[in-house]
Amino acid sequence: MKILIADDELMSRTLLQKTLECAGYEVTAVENGRLAADQLCPVDGPRLALLDWVMPELDGPGVCREVRKREGQSYVYMVLLTSKESKEDVVAGLESGADDYLTKPFDPEELKARLRTGLRILNLEGRLVEAREQMRFQATHDGLTTLWNRVVILDLLGRELVRSRRERISTVILLGDLDHFKSVNDTYGHLAGDEVLRETAKRLLSSVRSYDFVGRYGGEEFLVVLNNCHPAHALARAEQICRTIAGTPVQTANAAIPITMSFGLLISQEWDALPMEELLQHADAALYAAKAAGRNCVKVAHPKPSSADEHAQDHLPAPLRH
Amino acid sequence: MPSATIDITELLARVEDDRELMRDLLLIFKQEFPKHLAALRDAVSSTNAEKIATEAHALKGMLSNLAAHPAAAAAARLEHLGRNREVSQFQAAFSSFEKISKDLLLQLDTCMAEVSG
Repeated sequence: MKILIADDELMSRTLLQKTLECAGYEVTAVENGRLAADQLCPVDGPRLALLDWVMPELDGPGVCREVRKREGQSYVYMVLLTSKESKEDVVAGLESGADDYLTKPFDPEELKARLRTGLRILNLEGRLVEAREQMRFQATHDGLTTLWNRVVILDLLGRELVRSRRERISTVILLGDLDHFKSVNDTYGHLAGDEVLRETAKRLLSSVRSYDFVGRYGGEEFLVVLNNCHPAHALARAEQICRTIAGTPVQTANAAIPITMSFGLLISQEWDALPMEELLQHADAALYAAKAAGRNCVKVAHPKPSSADEHAQDHLPAPLRH
Repeated sequence: MPSATIDITELLARVEDDRELMRDLLLIFKQEFPKHLAALRDAVSSTNAEKIATEAHALKGMLSNLAAHPAAAAAARLEHLGRNREVSQFQAAFSSFEKISKDLLLQLDTCMAEVSG
């Protein structure tokens, strides 16, 4: 465990350093409060600190105040070393953000015991943070596929649509549905069906860019959001994803199961400022069209052209004319 | 030499019987002490109360770590006088501290010889 010692007095610093090194700590020793704050404030700084109260540049309570100003970073457990013993001094020290104080000259066993208390607090914080992160993951991801869940993928899509309108770029919505998935469950069982869903998620993720979004929209339905995707490339990219899904059968514990997926595609730029829910309805209609067209293909949702637009439609890039 | 200027038993407990560390601390003390003593003397001569408090505080810390209690108490008194700007008592308190320090330095040499031997 890393620990920072800040003490302007060389004898005290040497004594602390040697005592703590013998106790197994990885010690950094500095001679003033400014250097201490500089060491403790970065994200990867020591999380345990022994700070002399009276120091040049910045005193121990001053270091505590600076460290406590940081937000969203790991907790730093700070012990003030002091020869001050009055109640007012102790209160002032603890009010500055120190966790504990130790009167100088210190007893080595007491010092180590108090630091063990600090370690217990830090370990507890570590476990709480881990639990919070687990809960955050569970609240935002689909339990089976670990993709974004429906709530989050819709939120991400909503934000992306706002951004694309603001920046006059295009977001591509790709709504995919595994073909004949019910028969996979009926034929091979639900465990095999789960394996198919997990593998589908992997294939979708592997076929998009790191900044695109993939989420589980429903049972066997997936929503892919291609950010800042040029309309001229949208269909080709969707068809590539479609081929990736169907490329090889999914190898489950008991069988190799061939899979395909049908997609409805929608390019946000073609739809002015329709609400997200309506865009999704149009993407869904295109998905149905893909199913009706024999599955394992991509169909594009286009706005119905007004008579004035019909001529303009003829000038769209070739892949977008259907 | 007065007895128990440095409490050797306490000092050994503080370094957890690490005689090498004890020798290092004594060496640091021997190097650092005269500098702080000289600075304290200057501060007393110029009745610089703030400087007296600062230097006496540093000396008090060093002496406490060395388990040199009479000298640490004398330094603590000087620190207190400095913080409270009790100018009239600076010189007498410093003289008392200097006298204890002389005894301490004598004992220090004996300690060094013991630890090094």
